[in-house]
Amino acid sequence: MAEHLVFELAPAIAGLPFLAFLIALFFGKYMPKKGALAGIAAAAGSLVLAVWTAATLFGGAEPYHTHIYDFVLGAEGVGGVDLSFGILIDPLSALMLVIVTLISTLIQIHSLGYMNDDGQTGLPRYYAELGLFTFSMLAFVYSDNLLMAFMFFELVGLCSYLLIGFWFRDEGPPSGAKKAFLVTRFGDYFFLIGVVAVFATFGTTAFVGEDSFVVMAEHALADGATEHITTYLGLDVQQWFTVIGLLVLGGVVGKSAQFPLHTWLPDAMEGPTPVSALIHAATMVAAGVYLVARMYGFYALSPTALGVIALIGGFTALFAATMAVVKQEIKQVLAYSTISQYGYMMLALGGGAYTAAVFHLTTHAVFKALLFLGAGSVIIAMHHDENMWNMGGLKDDMRVTYLTFLAGSLALAGIFPFAGFWSKDEVLYETLIHGLAGSPLLLVGYAFGLLSVFVTGFYTFRMVLLTFHGNPRSDAARDPASLRWNTKLPVAVLGIGAATIGFINMKPVEELAGTHLTFLHDWLAIGTVGEESEFAALTTEHYHHILFADYGAGYSAADLGPLIPAVVSLGLALAGVGAAWVLYSDPDPVPQTKKLGSVRTLLMNNYYQDEFQVWLARGVTVPVAKAADTFDQSIIDGVVNGVGSVSLFSGERFRRIQTGVVSNYATLLTLGLTLLLVVFGLVGGWF
Amino acid sequence: MLIEATFFATLTAAMVVFMAPSRYAGKLATLLSVVPLGTSLYMWFTFDGSGNALLESGDIAFETTLSWLELGPYQLQWHVGVDGVSMPLLVLTTILTTLALISSWTPIDERESQFYGLMLLMEASLIGVFTALDFFLWFVFWEGVLIPMYFLIGVWGGPRRKYASIKFLVYTNVASLVMFIGLFGLVFGLGDSLTTLGLPEIAQGVRGGDLGSFAGLDPEALKAAAFLAMFAGFAVKVPVVPFHTWLPDAHVEAPTPVSVILAGVLLKMGTYALLRFNFTMLADVARDYAEIIAIFGVLSVIYGAMLALAQRDLKRIVAYSSISSMGYVILGLVAFTPHGFGGATFQMISHGLISGLMFMVVGVIYNTTHTRMVGDMSGMADKMPWTVGIFIAAAFGYMGLPLMSGFAGEVLVFIGAFHSTVIPGAPVYTAIAMFGIVIVAGYLLWAMQRTLFGPFKLETDYEVGPAAFHDVAPLVVLLLLVILLGVAPDIAYEMIQDAINPLLGGGA
Repeated sequence: MAEHLVFELAPAIAGLPFLAFLIALFFGKYMPKKGALAGIAAAAGSLVLAVWTAATLFGGAEPYHTHIYDFVLGAEGVGGVDLSFGILIDPLSALMLVIVTLISTLIQIHSLGYMNDDGQTGLPRYYAELGLFTFSMLAFVYSDNLLMAFMFFELVGLCSYLLIGFWFRDEGPPSGAKKAFLVTRFGDYFFLIGVVAVFATFGTTAFVGEDSFVVMAEHALADGATEHITTYLGLDVQQWFTVIGLLVLGGVVGKSAQFPLHTWLPDAMEGPTPVSALIHAATMVAAGVYLVARMYGFYALSPTALGVIALIGGFTALFAATMAVVKQEIKQVLAYSTISQYGYMMLALGGGAYTAAVFHLTTHAVFKALLFLGAGSVIIAMHHDENMWNMGGLKDDMRVTYLTFLAGSLALAGIFPFAGFWSKDEVLYETLIHGLAGSPLLLVGYAFGLLSVFVTGFYTFRMVLLTFHGNPRSDAARDPASLRWNTKLPVAVLGIGAATIGFINMKPVEELAGTHLTFLHDWLAIGTVGEESEFAALTTEHYHHILFADYGAGYSAADLGPLIPAVVSLGLALAGVGAAWVLYSDPDPVPQTKKLGSVRTLLMNNYYQDEFQVWLARGVTVPVAKAADTFDQSIIDGVVNGVGSVSLFSGERFRRIQTGVVSNYATLLTLGLTLLLVVFGLVGGWF
Repeated sequence: MLIEATFFATLTAAMVVFMAPSRYAGKLATLLSVVPLGTSLYMWFTFDGSGNALLESGDIAFETTLSWLELGPYQLQWHVGVDGVSMPLLVLTTILTTLALISSWTPIDERESQFYGLMLLMEASLIGVFTALDFFLWFVFWEGVLIPMYFLIGVWGGPRRKYASIKFLVYTNVASLVMFIGLFGLVFGLGDSLTTLGLPEIAQGVRGGDLGSFAGLDPEALKAAAFLAMFAGFAVKVPVVPFHTWLPDAHVEAPTPVSVILAGVLLKMGTYALLRFNFTMLADVARDYAEIIAIFGVLSVIYGAMLALAQRDLKRIVAYSSISSMGYVILGLVAFTPHGFGGATFQMISHGLISGLMFMVVGVIYNTTHTRMVGDMSGMADKMPWTVGIFIAAAFGYMGLPLMSGFAGEVLVFIGAFHSTVIPGAPVYTAIAMFGIVIVAGYLLWAMQRTLFGPFKLETDYEVGPAAFHDVAPLVVLLLLVILLGVAPDIAYEMIQDAINPLLGGGA
């Protein structure tokens, strides 16, 4: 294997932001821009390295895997397991490294405008936490084993907690931060059981290589090689793998804000807007879906787990989209759209569309970061008023923001030829053909996904029209604050991306054009070249093989061209946009959703999911805890006090005995023990 | 000789401090405590022991054996030494004591020389407990810990200190007696084959099948009875639910530095003794009763966490969460797997550091606010940014955040317990116990949100501002240790594994 310098530098990709964390934390207040420059320089450095890494892979280098550090070395000979850290750079992780570093760089530049120019305090802390966040996510992305992934997954959660709660002097942010950590921790609980179960089952949590749990699991099902595998609870191998897959999925559902653990994400809007952009586009929420993609070889073995993923994803896509329809605050609309879009990615993964899932993850990262930064620009201009009903008419005063925001919205709505169209269409198409070939669960997921295309088009353009079109509806909207380059530059970069990034995988027109246009698919197939390579098991080709194998998911594909489904979904998206236009293009729009009556109330209250979860915490858990406390104080401690007659000492009588006498107890104690020894001595015949 | 040097340096320091004027006592005690800290660290770095101290499996480090006096047929010995289990606990004791002494400077303002003298006396006893390899000697130290602790709570404690200290003393003493009877059952059962009360001799005799009948009990019944008595005795110390009610009272009344030692080291005496006696000497009995013991462990984790959830007093929250954390230790020990034993021992060290840190940081806030009640204060982050920053870090450490020691301890316990072959249904018990990581996040995040964040609010006449340097410094040291052990658990885990493996090698 040829040595490549850039792979030797791989630890620095995560290391640089960590360095920026330390610098900003301890020296930030002495620096110009309060640590921002360190953060931007580090993220940009990581971006350069990540791009270089990706280019090296593109240039034909083998994927890279190295062991860097033993966290815990298992004891020899008695069945201990090693816990180690390592780096895995394959096309998937390289792509994600580029996305994370790019978004991180851009949002830190944007923060110069959003935070620094706004005169915020606590900036060293802000940039330090962003550095730590970027570091954790990057380390998570190129983890070579599940335990390491879990560890950095948790650190990502910590950083979101810190950043969501950045404005800790208010009531809202600390509450939102707590909810984010707690809800995702609930999901991580299942994830951790999954990690422990993987250890106990396979003795390793490695992602890659012949001894990785992914490959061992495949061999166990394909060739019956189960001698190094222990299953538990009396389940057979496939059932047990399904259980493990679903346990790990708990963490995914929490982090990627899928139903029913999606409730934290809208509350996470309490954080600064650039943080929301980072969380939604590239870090926290992306981590969940990325994890499934990372160990896709394992999930592809279990049709049940895939079915569950597809159903959760499809349902969440529609469920969240409906809630976005009635929201009044621009960031809330975006929050629910994120939940919905990650639902599409889950649908894709469950539906056997690995490439499409990674594709949508990529395009979504670009257009969602764009939309959040655009919203951030709007919020700055509006002097931190986020209510869309106070906006209107901003398109004339905010030309750059408007055009880029529009590009992002077209991408989100899935309008040809913007990014979201290509990726969302491929998700739906692949799910459809796998579903038609005998997986009715996938068809249900597809139906959810298709319906929400319409809803997405609608809520997206309701947002655009209310924010930028019509007449200004407040003083702030009539005279928005001006923006500097540092907010415009990032959105411009992302705007170009949102318009063009879909071209990396143009499946529907491939047939029409008659040439090969699915470049992302080729990218994710790197590693197949040398068949004996350990990385062959991480390619989209191999996943396809498992999905279609008898021992795996057992999928097959119906014979249906990509063109017609594409036209259908584009038609629905356009219909959604059209509906929004009809209802909200009036210069003085009226709140049309009021006509929905009680449905609107239900949607405004998010199907009472929050109430339900708060009730679980406050209405069930806390009373149980109080009851346990009462039981403890009265019954258990009561028995103790009764038996020991401690109450005698603590009562009136004791109060009369002063400290001087206390030493008597010590004397008594010593005497008692001596006596005991003597008695034992006599019984034992010592004397 | 290093163990003797450590021990007598501490004892001498205690005597000197007792006689010193109160004004200097705190600084002097801290300074003198650096001697045992230094020698124990030197021992750590030159540690050359191998195997388990109670089994014939390697070399005990820094071992000394001196004949002391004869008691009937038994030669009592000054027999001390450390292995990979006791070495980290010894260092934990000396580090925590020095830091606790520094953290006493602010809150302790009466009878200082007695206070610091008793703290050092307690340290000496604790050093003895973790190094003694002769039962008689060990028991003297074991009991010797109680007396300073009793005074420290009873004299310098809060409003209900009398009740708390008496409860602590009586409860743990009754437990000691029960344990003592159990152990002597074994000693008498071994009969003439035993010539000393050395713990290795007793352990090897029992494991080697030299046990005869005693008091009408055949060897198997005798073992079971001894196991039960010793388990009950040590369970109070740990404490295992339902023997835990002395703990919150003692903690709430004890002054901060005493709580630090109580949670950080004293509770570990219980699990250390369980490991030495119940799980080493009577390993086969422990295997037979593994499921029941595991249930006690799981119950401690969940029930302790639920009690913590119901508290409003920050110190009570931390106190109850200790019960929960020690439940993991029990679960790990009873699994009889390498990571089970190893993780449990590592968790003892880790919890010692983290709970010490938590008590200290709550103490620093209390020194300023004079209240510990969630709801009486909010927005402390504004007034004490560094202290609150450490509070947050410590709380996340307690929640088992990766790259902090708590995660390493807990995840090792979970891995070890999950594939235990002695507990039927081990995966289910492990999964239930793991829910503790959700509840702990619940109550700590809630308490943090209420007290640290939001607008500043506190009804007080005192000046509320950043804490003094000497209050924050121990916190920083502990936090760095927690992170160090979290990033590189092998620093301690390697020697722990070495001492643990013989327990699993032959099968008793």
